[in-house]
Amino acid sequence: MNCKDCSEKLDRYVDRELNDTEVFELKLHLEGCPDCEDQYEFQSHLKRLVRHSCDCDTAPPAFREKLRQILS
Amino acid sequence: MTHLDTLYRGALRLTRDPDQAQDLVQEAYLRALRYQHSYQQGTNMRAWLFAIMRNLFWDRFKGSRKEDVSLDDVGEFVLYDKLRDEGAKPEEDVLNKLAASEVVEAVEKLPPLHREVVLLVDVEGFSYKDAAQTLGVPIGTVMSRLHRARQQLQKSLYDYAVESGIVHTGGMKQVPQP
Repeated sequence: MNCKDCSEKLDRYVDRELNDTEVFELKLHLEGCPDCEDQYEFQSHLKRLVRHSCDCDTAPPAFREKLRQILS
Repeated sequence: MTHLDTLYRGALRLTRDPDQAQDLVQEAYLRALRYQHSYQQGTNMRAWLFAIMRNLFWDRFKGSRKEDVSLDDVGEFVLYDKLRDEGAKPEEDVLNKLAASEVVEAVEKLPPLHREVVLLVDVEGFSYKDAAQTLGVPIGTVMSRLHRARQQLQKSLYDYAVESGIVHTGGMKQVPQP
């Protein structure tokens, strides 16, 4: 695998959508390529940042209770 | 009320209004109750509920029109490369300094068809397959929308980083300590 192949598969790697063979090949490339490894770390960090920024909202307790009554 | 937080978060990000989000989620649960016979045991209930909620969103707020507002043509914008070109250390200098509120704003600026795929895959951790099932589109469409959404998101975050002085074109700038 070269850097171009790696770059094309990085999104799917970060999203855990590659098959075992592709994961193996990509990991092997990352181990020997600091630039691609940095890019992988960056994309993983960015994905975590989006998740943590958006997933802190939870349904307000009053709404939860209201819904519980409506559905019961 | 399984998966209430997932539905509420999704509704909040789609409507960008807590009251409308609550109405949407309430209606989604009522509809799910009414049509519970259509849920297939063993399939992803979270995806099924989210699909009901997002379909209601499109019916109610967008008049069932799923044509999307086009994304700005940002081309192949890769934030990592852009920041490296600017002389920044992308993770330490930039990602660590972005406020959660700015990231949420960048997500909410995405057109709804692209926003919802980011919500499913990046925020809720859906697989491409489950996201495709939820949205009623092929997996390839999920991948292409996700790719474009991420490009736009990275462009928005870059613009914010420049505007707020985290980074400036031509090299890194030290942000004064408060």
